[in-house]
Amino acid sequence: MFDLFLFIGLPYVAIASLVVVSFIRYKFRAFSYSSLSTQFLEDRWLAWASLPWHLGIILILLGHLLAFGLPGVWSILVSIPTFLLVVEALGIFSALLCLVSLVILLIRRFVDAKLQAVTSYLDVVVLLILLFQVLTGLAAAIHHRWGAAWAPGALGPYIRSIFLLQPDASFVKDMPPFVKLHIASAWVLIMFFPFTRLVHALSVPLHYFVRSPQKVVWNSSRSQVRFEQKIQFDNEKRLFLKAAFGAGASVALLSLGVLDKFFRYFLKQDLTNAEESHILSQKLQRLKQSADERELELERMNKDSIFVAKLSELSRTRGKYFIDYQMRPALAFSDEQGLPILISAKCTHLGCTVGQELDAQGRILCPCHISYFDIKTGQPSPGSPAKLPLPHLGWALKDEQGNLLMAQDPEGRREGSIDPSQAGKSLLFIGKRFS
Amino acid sequence: MGKQKNKFLQMVDFLTERMPLHNLSFDHIVNEKEVPVHRMSWAYYMGGLTLLFFIIQLVTGVFLLFYYQPTVSDAHASVEYITFFVKSGFLIRNLHTWSSSCMILCLMVHMITSFAMKAFARPREITWISGSLLLIITFAFGFTGYLLPWHQIAVNATKVVLQSIEEAGHYLPGALAALPSYIKEIIQGEVSVGQATLSRFYALHVVILPLFFMGAIGLHLLGVQLHGMSPGVDTPPREKERFFPVFILKDFWLWGIVFLVVFVLSLCLPFESFYSYPLFEAYNALGSTPEGIKPEWYFYFVYYPLEILPFWVIMLGMTIAQAGIFFVPWIFKNTSRKVLSIIAWIIAAYLIIITLFGQLIYEVFKGSGK
Amino acid sequence: MKLFINIILLSLVYLTPAFAHPEFQRYSKKVSGRSVNCAMCHRHSDGPEGVKPGQIGSLNQDELNALGLARQALKPGAGVKSPILNEFGSSILNQLGKEKILELKQRPELLAGSLSKTNDLDGDGIPDAEEFKDGTHPLNSLDGHPWKLFKNNLGKNWFDILMIVLATGSGLYGLQNALIWLSIKARREE
Repeated sequence: MFDLFLFIGLPYVAIASLVVVSFIRYKFRAFSYSSLSTQFLEDRWLAWASLPWHLGIILILLGHLLAFGLPGVWSILVSIPTFLLVVEALGIFSALLCLVSLVILLIRRFVDAKLQAVTSYLDVVVLLILLFQVLTGLAAAIHHRWGAAWAPGALGPYIRSIFLLQPDASFVKDMPPFVKLHIASAWVLIMFFPFTRLVHALSVPLHYFVRSPQKVVWNSSRSQVRFEQKIQFDNEKRLFLKAAFGAGASVALLSLGVLDKFFRYFLKQDLTNAEESHILSQKLQRLKQSADERELELERMNKDSIFVAKLSELSRTRGKYFIDYQMRPALAFSDEQGLPILISAKCTHLGCTVGQELDAQGRILCPCHISYFDIKTGQPSPGSPAKLPLPHLGWALKDEQGNLLMAQDPEGRREGSIDPSQAGKSLLFIGKRFS
Repeated sequence: MGKQKNKFLQMVDFLTERMPLHNLSFDHIVNEKEVPVHRMSWAYYMGGLTLLFFIIQLVTGVFLLFYYQPTVSDAHASVEYITFFVKSGFLIRNLHTWSSSCMILCLMVHMITSFAMKAFARPREITWISGSLLLIITFAFGFTGYLLPWHQIAVNATKVVLQSIEEAGHYLPGALAALPSYIKEIIQGEVSVGQATLSRFYALHVVILPLFFMGAIGLHLLGVQLHGMSPGVDTPPREKERFFPVFILKDFWLWGIVFLVVFVLSLCLPFESFYSYPLFEAYNALGSTPEGIKPEWYFYFVYYPLEILPFWVIMLGMTIAQAGIFFVPWIFKNTSRKVLSIIAWIIAAYLIIITLFGQLIYEVFKGSGK
Repeated sequence: MKLFINIILLSLVYLTPAFAHPEFQRYSKKVSGRSVNCAMCHRHSDGPEGVKPGQIGSLNQDELNALGLARQALKPGAGVKSPILNEFGSSILNQLGKEKILELKQRPELLAGSLSKTNDLDGDGIPDAEEFKDGTHPLNSLDGHPWKLFKNNLGKNWFDILMIVLATGSGLYGLQNALIWLSIKARREE
């Protein structure tokens, strides 16, 4: 029953009061639409409270307005984790700003004699309601986290139901007490709103952003000079504040869009099992490749001859890469007689590795600067950037028992011969004595 | 007329003219320094932009150091790890790549405009020389950095360049003929481009060159600060603007805009997408070289002539050009700005044409050569 | 008996159509102007034949069995995973089937058209079939037609870009005011 009063009766009373009284007040006492500035009575305390209060409350109201007014857009935005984080942080920060400044404003009302003279009960009541509202909001935010994410979904329908004149308190019935208190006191605040100095919020001061700053001071010749100094000082202060605002906004936005990413660059990267194993196997493969190369190097230091391939494996059109005694790449082909052709694959131009495919003219291609080499002679074709021929390598053929069958030195001088029937089984080696 | 000053005082005068340290006071910088306004004023921003890109390089470079591993078996894998698995690693790496190209571009424009504006004239010789040093160091940065990812194009392009050094030996007389191979060996550290080369390039790229760069840029900025902006045009400019805060503000806004452009590019356009993917596979010493091995675009101006013209022409030309850059303040001491800007235009035209159409020109030449 | 098996094995190796299909590679290279190697579809960039990882000579018993299964996938939708193919190669095999692939060898220009228009294995926003025609790697999200990549990434990163534009703008605004403030502070009394 009480819930019904708080969340259905009260809202309509509050809205009625807001509309009717604001209208009447505007119609008949338009000049009372004022914040009743007390700046000229007391400006030390005020300076510390007024600005932070307005900054904080404007941010918070904007947040509430966006969240409940455009729930669609808002839900997209808060689904970005960093945005949610920043909104929550900014919200709490603003609430703290409001809290501190409200306390200062209250104290100020009590300790300054000049102020006490103009303070009405209503002023104090307004401050107390605001304080209560901020405290309950803060408590709700802390006890029931991520309000920016859940509140629009959970409370949006209630607020909409009020405005659509189909009030339904069931949406708030089971809310935690802090949230209930916050909502109820919001309606109270709205009810009081048109009776108090808060009405100045209705004259949304958009032109404040463009006009030069105003300062309320005593008008006397004595203070004229001081006044000008003060204006100058205020100018500088404004510049400083703008600078601070720009820097602050920049940091906030960066943290929202960019910095968090850079920050994560330094964290331990959390990878899935599949990614982790992919990386590791990749690494292992590369390490093996390096190990293989080292092994080749060692082999070439210690052994007099090195196995290249079975003679039967060699192709006439597609060379087989191997590494010579100087650790340079070389290619092995077979010729028409089924005997091997071993030729260096290090281009004599600038040292790229020559390709393994033989073209129709019996040439291999260095892709770096398009040099063609005839594999029989090693000579580059005319017009190639390479001028020197690719050197041939000496080789030796052995049977499976390791007996030497036939050999050829780099100049092409042969010793021994091979029975064609045995050729398929013989093994091709390169020898240290030829290098 | 007083009598001739003695040698010592002359030297003091020489140094005072070139190092007017009284211009270094806070008061001078903030309240007196002015920048001429004329049709070439835009050129005053190019040096600053280069500095911006250097700062980006420094920051992203340090970031990359956290993950990069300079060994032949791990280098490529670690770069892949940065690009694909580290959060925003791709952005950092791409920023480093894009910004390196932008830095060289700005540096070239800066150098050519300074030349055309005769910004090297007395008393700014030291500024010019330190600038020339910076140019060479920056190219060295580009060259050494290119190898570090250890993919096909990196290792093979490096091989090609180092081999061309050795080639120079054929054109040197007598005992000197062996010198280039010594130089190559010192750079390469072993018979072929391998672990020793990678370690050397790494040390150069992340320690030695940055140190030299810092020193040179310190001298360079000191020179700029001491002498102020060079007038740049013959007729004394009618207008001037204050350096602080007017000019520096414009400078910062430009920085902001340029940074945004580079950032968006780095975020959205992988630099490597301009090349064929086989070039970025891990280097394989035992396999064939893929097609399309080329140095970075900013080396095209030597690379393509090297492909087309006889080697010794290029070598001679490069040696003369390199030495010449340092002597510009004396060679062109009495040249008018008009002639200087014509020379500058010719150089710029050459660089632009060879960089954009080098491949085309090369094909035309090669086609007719067959 | 042993001889008989050897002959069958030999004929399997020499008589069946080759494992590699360089026709598609050549086609991709021709239409894109980019250099393309076997790594577009195969595990190893030198193709399937050889003894290096991902090549036939390096396969163990399980992998050989898998290869056999893959080679029997004549019809589409077999869902096989060949040890010599990469994910793109396997996806072609499973989409088209071996028969169709062999048929397309004569008309490689039809391959892209017969593949799915929406499959995008690397998630870079460019469909695999399109990447095949562009000569870019379908499994590397950083490799793609530069303009297409740029457009796709711009759409993907709009939020970050918006934030950094706003951040840079407000940072510069702050800096501007700070500098003007400083210059007023530093101005000497006239």
